[in-house]
Amino acid sequence: MFEIATRRRPYILLAVSLVFQILLLAVQVRRPDGARLIRVWAVELLTPAERAGSWVMDMVRGGWTGYVSLFRANRDNQKLRQQLGELTMRTSELEGRAAEAQRLAGLLEFREAHADAPMLAARVIGGDAGAGRAIYLDRGERDGVQPNMGVITPQGVVGKVLEVYSATSQVLLLTDKNSGAGALLANSRTQGAARGSGGPLLQLDYVSNDQEVAAGERVLTSGMDRIFPKDLPLGIVMETRPGNPFKQIQVRPAARLDQLEEVLILIDRKQWDWEPKAAAAPETNPAPRIPGAKTAESATASRGPAAERRSSAPADGEAKAKP
Amino acid sequence: MNPTEIAENASAPPILIRGVSEPRLEVHKFRAGAVVGASFLALVLQAFVPAHVWKGELVGDLIELPLLVTLYFGLSRRNPSRGLLLGMVIGMAQDGLSGANPIGLFGIAKTMVGYLASTIGAKLDVEHPVSRMVLAFAFFHLHNLVCVFTRRWLLAQAAPLMSVRVLVASLVAALLAWPLFALLDKLRQDED
Repeated sequence: MFEIATRRRPYILLAVSLVFQILLLAVQVRRPDGARLIRVWAVELLTPAERAGSWVMDMVRGGWTGYVSLFRANRDNQKLRQQLGELTMRTSELEGRAAEAQRLAGLLEFREAHADAPMLAARVIGGDAGAGRAIYLDRGERDGVQPNMGVITPQGVVGKVLEVYSATSQVLLLTDKNSGAGALLANSRTQGAARGSGGPLLQLDYVSNDQEVAAGERVLTSGMDRIFPKDLPLGIVMETRPGNPFKQIQVRPAARLDQLEEVLILIDRKQWDWEPKAAAAPETNPAPRIPGAKTAESATASRGPAAERRSSAPADGEAKAKP
Repeated sequence: MNPTEIAENASAPPILIRGVSEPRLEVHKFRAGAVVGASFLALVLQAFVPAHVWKGELVGDLIELPLLVTLYFGLSRRNPSRGLLLGMVIGMAQDGLSGANPIGLFGIAKTMVGYLASTIGAKLDVEHPVSRMVLAFAFFHLHNLVCVFTRRWLLAQAAPLMSVRVLVASLVAALLAWPLFALLDKLRQDED
């Protein structure tokens, strides 16, 4: 070993001296940008090593954060998922409560607007598993509910009480085939009978073919069924076509029967004045104000110009018959 | 002097000396302080002439006394280690005295010259005046070549590889080597 070093001594000495002088030059010489050459060399020499070291550190760090510490991430993930589920349920609950509060506020407002009409608020607790044309309420006999009482919402008629139990009651919806209500057209005051079709729409019967009925015309309760007071919103005419012997009129219920949650039970069937803002008749067809059974004069007066024209013809005839 | 004496006097690796196929080649020893004195004198003259002699700049530009001194002692002592160390010292001193060059420019070049001259001197007979002139001419260009590449690569300076000045200076060095080397031969100890 020593012999080899001795034999190679000139080469080693040459290399050392050259490297020493080159470094000495690099220390003295400055680049045009002012940096010393030795600094530039050092940076260029050390940068790959630093880059490699940085790469190794990144790999180690990435391995640690990406793999070793994943058990913590998994635990956090499970915890966050649980929190997310809880918050989602909480949000849904709050949204439901907010919607319920809004609906109850509507009911309360409606109830206060008709303080003279005895009504009982009830919550829908179930539906008919069969045809889906009946619902169950959380009010029953002990609350004063009786069969054939009307059930409404601020939007319109829902149906009538079919069966009464001690704490619950069954309500037959308007759309049931066995359901019906006395109805009249808001503009012409033409009376008819609304009956369920088993589908989402009602059928308005007993309207003559010569009666002009336009789509969009409101249909109100006539009060003739002695279940619902007069002029409750019943629905809106969707389609009319001539029929035999009466016109076939499709009516969409005013109340959203597929979204019922809270309703009002009319616990007294007295004829109370009904003047809802939404269902208020136009000034040209004012709603009748006289409670009780309709007289011929009041019915004629309340049917509007068309009815007056129809009723004026026999009057003229009578006038002509009379000398 | 036999080969054994040559090896002892050279204080160089024995194998290197045994590898010399010419037993007639001698390793010359010099008087005490001769190497230092001659080198010092060459450096002083190289720095003094351009500043204090008429047309000294031209003379100093054409004459490279430190190079010739480095070459002579490298060829004569035939020890690569000593030759490169002497060249390095002389070159760095010349750089320091010049003031214009960064220290190491001539040092690198003369280190190479000292090493190669010592290596060649250990293998060839460099006592003949013609061979000395040829070697002076060749080593001048080698010296210039190393300086040019050092300037270009390390210092990022423009430097011509060949010019009339370089050619003339190399011829001057060759011509000057003859009397100068003969004068320096007088400093040899073994010729007393």
